[in-house]
Amino acid sequence: MVLASFLFLFCIVPAITYKKEEFTEELLIKPLYAEQLYAHFQFTTKWHTDIKKDTFSHSRLFPRALGEILKEYSLLELHISLTSGLWRYEQWGYPVYDAAPGAEVWAWFQDGTESLDEKWKLLSNRLSGLFCASINFVDRSNSISPEFSFRPRGVVENVTINNSYVRYASLPRELVCTENLTPWKKLLPCDTRHGLASLLNSEYIHNTRYHSLGIHFRQTCSDSTCTIPALELQQTISLVYDYKILGTKDWSFRKLFGQGFYQKCALADRSDIFVDTISASSKYFELEQLPDEVITSFRGGYTSTFAKYTLKDNYLSLSTKKGNTEIVPLQIPPYIHANQYLIGYGQEKGGIVTKIYNNFWKHLDVILLQNIPWYVPIYLHTLKIVANGRDIQPFALRYIPGKQREKPYYLEVLLRLPPQSTTTISVDFDYIFLKWQEYPPDANHGFYIGSAIISAYLPLARNFTGLPQDGGTIRDSFNASRNGYLVQVRTESLVITLPTPDFSMPYNVICLACTVVALAFGPLHNITTRKLVLKPMKKLGLLDRLKKLLHKEKAEAKEK
Amino acid sequence: MGLLTDPTAGQGRFVKLLLKYCDKICALMYIVGILWFCSLAYPAMNANTYFSENALLPGLVKTQFREDKLALTYHEELLDEMKKYDDSIPYPWLLAKFRQIGLDVFVHNFTLNSPLNKKERYTGQNVYGILRAPRAASVESLVLSVPYRPPTSVHQTTSPSIAVMLAFAKFAAKEKYWAKDIIFLITEHEQLGIQAWLEAYHGVTCGNDDALDHGDLRGRGGAIQAAINLELHSEKIGQLDVKIEGLNGQLPNLDLFNLVSKMCSREGLYQTFKNRGLHYYRNEFKEWWRYFRNTLAMMATQASGIPNGNHGLFHRFGIQALTLEGFEQTKAAKSSMKVGMLSLGRIIESIFRSLNNLLERFHQSFFFYLLPASDRYISIGLYMPAVSLIAGALFIKAFAKWLKLQGDSDSLDNKSASFGQEVEPIKIIVTFISIHLFSIGLLYMPQLVSEACETYDCPVNRTIFYALLTTVTIAILIPFLIFGFFDKSIEILNVFAMLELGTALICISMTNFSLGMFCAVLSVPFTLWVGRTNSRIASVLQTLFLLLIHPITVLAAVVLVNTYLMFPKDPQKEILMTAWDATQQAVIYSIADSMIYGNWLFTVVTVVFHSNWLCYWIVVMSKVRKNGGKGKSKKEKKE
Repeated sequence: MVLASFLFLFCIVPAITYKKEEFTEELLIKPLYAEQLYAHFQFTTKWHTDIKKDTFSHSRLFPRALGEILKEYSLLELHISLTSGLWRYEQWGYPVYDAAPGAEVWAWFQDGTESLDEKWKLLSNRLSGLFCASINFVDRSNSISPEFSFRPRGVVENVTINNSYVRYASLPRELVCTENLTPWKKLLPCDTRHGLASLLNSEYIHNTRYHSLGIHFRQTCSDSTCTIPALELQQTISLVYDYKILGTKDWSFRKLFGQGFYQKCALADRSDIFVDTISASSKYFELEQLPDEVITSFRGGYTSTFAKYTLKDNYLSLSTKKGNTEIVPLQIPPYIHANQYLIGYGQEKGGIVTKIYNNFWKHLDVILLQNIPWYVPIYLHTLKIVANGRDIQPFALRYIPGKQREKPYYLEVLLRLPPQSTTTISVDFDYIFLKWQEYPPDANHGFYIGSAIISAYLPLARNFTGLPQDGGTIRDSFNASRNGYLVQVRTESLVITLPTPDFSMPYNVICLACTVVALAFGPLHNITTRKLVLKPMKKLGLLDRLKKLLHKEKAEAKEK
Repeated sequence: MGLLTDPTAGQGRFVKLLLKYCDKICALMYIVGILWFCSLAYPAMNANTYFSENALLPGLVKTQFREDKLALTYHEELLDEMKKYDDSIPYPWLLAKFRQIGLDVFVHNFTLNSPLNKKERYTGQNVYGILRAPRAASVESLVLSVPYRPPTSVHQTTSPSIAVMLAFAKFAAKEKYWAKDIIFLITEHEQLGIQAWLEAYHGVTCGNDDALDHGDLRGRGGAIQAAINLELHSEKIGQLDVKIEGLNGQLPNLDLFNLVSKMCSREGLYQTFKNRGLHYYRNEFKEWWRYFRNTLAMMATQASGIPNGNHGLFHRFGIQALTLEGFEQTKAAKSSMKVGMLSLGRIIESIFRSLNNLLERFHQSFFFYLLPASDRYISIGLYMPAVSLIAGALFIKAFAKWLKLQGDSDSLDNKSASFGQEVEPIKIIVTFISIHLFSIGLLYMPQLVSEACETYDCPVNRTIFYALLTTVTIAILIPFLIFGFFDKSIEILNVFAMLELGTALICISMTNFSLGMFCAVLSVPFTLWVGRTNSRIASVLQTLFLLLIHPITVLAAVVLVNTYLMFPKDPQKEILMTAWDATQQAVIYSIADSMIYGNWLFTVVTVVFHSNWLCYWIVVMSKVRKNGGKGKSKKEKKE
């Protein structure tokens, strides 16, 4: 009886008290208009627990390493992306998750969190260790709290949102490599041996034009009425393959990932592959394997068709063969895309220009966010917004001037872009000298300015692949028509060459300065300090004369 | 050593020696300066070039370019296409080709409102494609440019370079190692196109605001690290000449030049600099003479401040650039082996792969140098003493003059008042400043004249030239209008002029050594000699020599010599006529260059050299006047 009750306690009680966890893995393959193929892996773990109450010490699928961090720094949301290459919006449309080149981190802390800056710094250090990336360089001097651009992606309790609890930072110079991929893969329940993650061979995914690792953690609801909270962790990898680099347009799993798919992840509730077959350029190929299901999705005025493959425990390798090559896809640029570049030459004055293209037939409201490092002092009075040759006034402007070595320049502008327009937002800056120890070893490489972020709610979902706010999987994005579709376009990051001393110069200067001082000091000292005083001749006594004589003799002897 | 002690306190041996041997010291400095300069070409005085930037890893990779057949096809197609466009760029074809290769393609429109004639407008179109690097986020880029030349162009065709560029683009588009975007740029209207494109890329205007409307670019590739400009005149190349001289005498980083040299020799292409290849002599004199001539050839181009290729306009923006000009067969390359598209493509490939390796922008090696041959260089540390010695003579002379004046005033203290020998500082300063203001007026005159021409409808170029000539002549007459200058004040003006010239020469030679050196060699002996003289012959000679070094005389002489060298067989009268026309053209072009490109040759000549010359002129002319009249008797008494 006692034994039975023990058994009950040890086996059944945990099973009951154990919160439910779901794991979904999905792969979306979408041919882009240009000569590229977009593959997006989405691994979503949903954990039906409360972020505030759970201790994160027991979980079945949710990575504990991350959970501990979330708990310790009272995070409400955490978004990290590590990206190499640039997403080309104009040719490729919109990705599922926008990411700036390099590393990007933004997080919402829970309301009432104290000593935020310190926690943010500690958090960045922990993340740096977790992902083997230099996220530890994130601190107060390059982080901002944007007022409009970053809202919580998940559920929040308060209606009013206090932006002092959000932190955003980007490290445009971060290089992303296998060393980041390995720890990222370790957070997955099935690691890399089973499931879709087995397709992620670093040898192949770094042969792409663009690849981006992402971690997105947020709070969602367990049910439709949203009374019970849940946690959701999305791990994403976006890859853009180039047919030219692949050498062929007939793509297959072997060519993309180096191998096919052998075994599904037993822990996954769902493992699906979706191949977009309707986009114009998909007509270039025909899938050789019959899909399990064909899904037609109507979203935001645009219809797309997906071939769905459900993973089972047998070998699967998708491959395509050339379809009708006579159809040339018409490349339609997305509604909003943007560029950023520097103007001016020399090392005195310059300007940062952001150019936003609105290809929509109606006006669009956008938010431009710029996080400009402290070593690029900008002048707000030079801010100029010109749309199609006419000056326009922003709806709102938020600006916090930077402080050298302490905080960056934060600029957020709310704009209404006229229909079919090109808007340039330019601001001037000065080049400044840094302290000599602040120059990196490769000082002449230049210093980076991170991407600008342009956020907009698009009324239609052309070229849009993003997930709806209420969904965490790709499946949720089918037939998900909403009022608007959030895109956050990232521009190119910039590199500027600050006035860089020739580092052998200090040595030369020291030599020269010392010589000059040595030559000039003597006479100067002589002139200013010497005092000519008449001294009465003292008659020498006999003893003194004798002494003098002796000294003289001594000196002579020494000389000899 | 008493650096800060009072110099007048001593008036000792040093000063006396200086006063005694001043002329000899100056002459010695001048001669030593020239000898120093000549000796620079001696192999012992210069050094072998070497790579300073290790990140370039030149020639480390095995080249893989194999698209030579494709290049030939492109060339054939392009030649067909060019026939359809008489004097414009066949941009639909180029756009289509770039797009097929898979580049981001853009067209750039620009307009030139002729700065001297507002009614003339020229439009042009550049075509460019950007190869987006898979390894980076469009942060840095490299440029490969070709000037497009229509069949009607007076210059040699560059169509083979477009073909090889396209073939290289096709090859490069499928490689995954690029870490910098590559911009393939085809420009129209020679240097105008590239200037407009660069201005648009950097969002600035370098010349006058209303001259060149640079338009806007839609696509960019971040900070440009280096640029290679191709001017291949034939499908088979027997000689490849590297051109480096840029606007205002700027030069590309020596590492880039070395890189190109090395890559050419790797492919076995006969590579030359100033049309001279490498040649080794046993005879030391012959070797020196070859190096010396080559150095002079480079300096002649550099001194003009006019870029000798499209690369020259990149330098201002901190972009290292040079031009590769390929000839099929030339005198210099009679016996050399010819290479085809395969080798050319491989040279370009290896250059770009080296540049792709760069981690930092070019900052090592030299930016200021002279090249006696493509494998030897003379660094700034070696050549500056030459010009410093020559210009230094002016300072010594000025110092000596000043000391002499001091000495005179000491000894003549009591007498001077009665002779009216007082220094009139205000008069000197006013004269000095007004001369410079006059020259600045000269600088802005072309614009005023061209505006006046619009209303009165007269030939602009001719009017501007003659207006300038008239003003300069009036300036020559100025001394006759100024009265009441006395001996001593004139001497002080002379001292001022010497100091100004010396400073100007050193400053100019810091940026454009060739210009500074040539000016120094020409002007210093005469200006040193100008001054107090009693002999009438001497003062007449001074006047004559001074007229000889007037900027316009120098220009006319240079143009005349050039014309003679170009058309040696023409009759003399015709040569004179051509030279005169060419002089006019040269003046007008230098004005237009300063307005469109921001070339500062015209500015420097008018504001610095012309005004300085006027100072000397006043000095000399007042002498002449004095010798004739009362001044003589005064001087006799004094002595």
